Amino acid sequence: MRYVFRNNTVERFFSKEYVFSGYDDISVIPTDFEYYVWWYQVPIKYERQVLAEEIKGYIQKFSFVLQQIVSDKMLVALTMEVFYDTPFTDDDFLLAKAVSDYNATLFEAERLYANLKVVDLSDFTCQYPISELMDWKFYLISQMGMNPKLSKPFQAWWNHKLDSIALKRKKCLVLDLDNTLWGGVLGEEGIDGIQIGGDYPGKAFLYWQEALRQLTKIGVILAICSKNNEQDVWDVWDKNPFIVLKKDDFSAYRINWTNKATNIKELAEELNIGLDSIVFVDDNPTERELVKQMLPMVSVPDFPEHPYMLLEFFKQLVNDYFKVYSITEEDRQKTEQYKAAASRLKSQKSFTDFDEFLESLDIQIIIEAANEFNIQRIAQMTQKTNQFNLTTKRYTDADIRNFMTNGWKIWCISVADKFGNSGITGCAMVNGNKIDTFLLSCRILGKGIETAFAKTLFKILASEGMAELKAQYIPTTKNMQVKDFYDRMGFTCVVEDEYGNKEYVLDLLSMDFSVKKYYHIIVK
Amino acid sequence: METKVLDVLKDIFELDIVDESCSRANCAAWDSMGQLNLVAELEEIFDVSLEPEEIGSMKSYDDIVRILKSKGVK
Repeated sequence: MRYVFRNNTVERFFSKEYVFSGYDDISVIPTDFEYYVWWYQVPIKYERQVLAEEIKGYIQKFSFVLQQIVSDKMLVALTMEVFYDTPFTDDDFLLAKAVSDYNATLFEAERLYANLKVVDLSDFTCQYPISELMDWKFYLISQMGMNPKLSKPFQAWWNHKLDSIALKRKKCLVLDLDNTLWGGVLGEEGIDGIQIGGDYPGKAFLYWQEALRQLTKIGVILAICSKNNEQDVWDVWDKNPFIVLKKDDFSAYRINWTNKATNIKELAEELNIGLDSIVFVDDNPTERELVKQMLPMVSVPDFPEHPYMLLEFFKQLVNDYFKVYSITEEDRQKTEQYKAAASRLKSQKSFTDFDEFLESLDIQIIIEAANEFNIQRIAQMTQKTNQFNLTTKRYTDADIRNFMTNGWKIWCISVADKFGNSGITGCAMVNGNKIDTFLLSCRILGKGIETAFAKTLFKILASEGMAELKAQYIPTTKNMQVKDFYDRMGFTCVVEDEYGNKEYVLDLLSMDFSVKKYYHIIVK
Repeated sequence: METKVLDVLKDIFELDIVDESCSRANCAAWDSMGQLNLVAELEEIFDVSLEPEEIGSMKSYDDIVRILKSKGVK
């Protein structure tokens, strides 16, 4: 349940999940509510000074309530809007000033209190003429400060606002190209013939592309789904100087003659997002209908009939699907991250042979002995790694320094491929002739790196004169995937107890240390 | 019009069943807030404007039908 502080009748604007304070009553601030709403409206008073003072008083009441609400509960405050004012002179701004001070205070408080969200009521009221916003009959019989007839659109708007506070927005915008991102059909008009830039309608498409480009900056992923020859589209990007949205602005694309429902499904897989977080924009009603029918979870807005309507359409897209309360640094980087993950996945698809794929990744492995610069990270990995961890022993950096003093051999591994650097993502510790710890972060699994890492270490140990290497597997609820790792590496299991603990031995003298040559391994 | 009024009553007061006997006296949800919701809904559906005096005297299904008829609603 939610609790609403109010000074007028507002029940009709909220669903059954809301409970209401008495009129202008802050004497009770109940606990046990999911969150709180603050909605004070302009009171009706004809003494101007008194009216302004009363609104000032609301600010104090608001501050009091804000202080009382525990910081893990959200308070959503609506701004104040003037629906009725009768100043007697043109230079009388008393009410306007009082209301603007009130709203400014809300916005200021919002910066100081993480649990306060201010929602701008004018965003709703600006859709209506002032005569529709208030109905005196309902004010006088029921003390309604806003017209009760607006309850349905208000509720829809309000829920939308709450969603945007909760970050429930769509993640990805899938766009068609011909007559959607530019005017005309590329296959017919050619790269110079399509309408983008210059006079209308090219100008409309230019603004539209500029607007879409800004969406990527707030973390919305753009993708293309178009029936075209892929090469023609590359040519547009390379040669048409007016195109704003370039290849880099898109995290993924399907430019082919396959049906769009299949393509969108593939895009969702490639980007690893749900179909319900996709919005599909296409000028062709047949394509829209197909996607609506086959993929009902995808949002498919109608496309405007004329290019001059594109900018109004953009505003509607933002409001309906992509508006959030605020954005974080992570949101801003999302396009890049999805792009990197998607390109890894895409490369994986186009190869039939897994080795061929790995070879194409250009994997660089750096194996480095523990030192002052990586001890922290090694300790952190022993604390956090669960899945690819043979013994799951947790150590502090002090422990590791201690092991080094006692002659343990400790290495860590960093991995990079052509799509990015994963940093230090694994380590191994050898105490005497027994492996104490061997772990890798899940981020780098699936590329055979564990084998390359292990074999390289064994080779180092053998070259230092070790003849026999021991190892151990200690099962946990999370490390089942490495149960047979040492068996696969050529160890012999000598003991297995009732709990699944296994003891291993490896004869280093007869060991084959060779690793696939496409791993570029550097030992430091 | 009569069936529409019954539908509105059923809808606004969230009733399982409704008949011509419905009134403020026998319907718990028909309080002052209920009255407000009812009026807003009736005005919208029948495209009329109800006078405060009419709203004040509107206490039963029969009252509603009588008032709407007096405004020419069929």
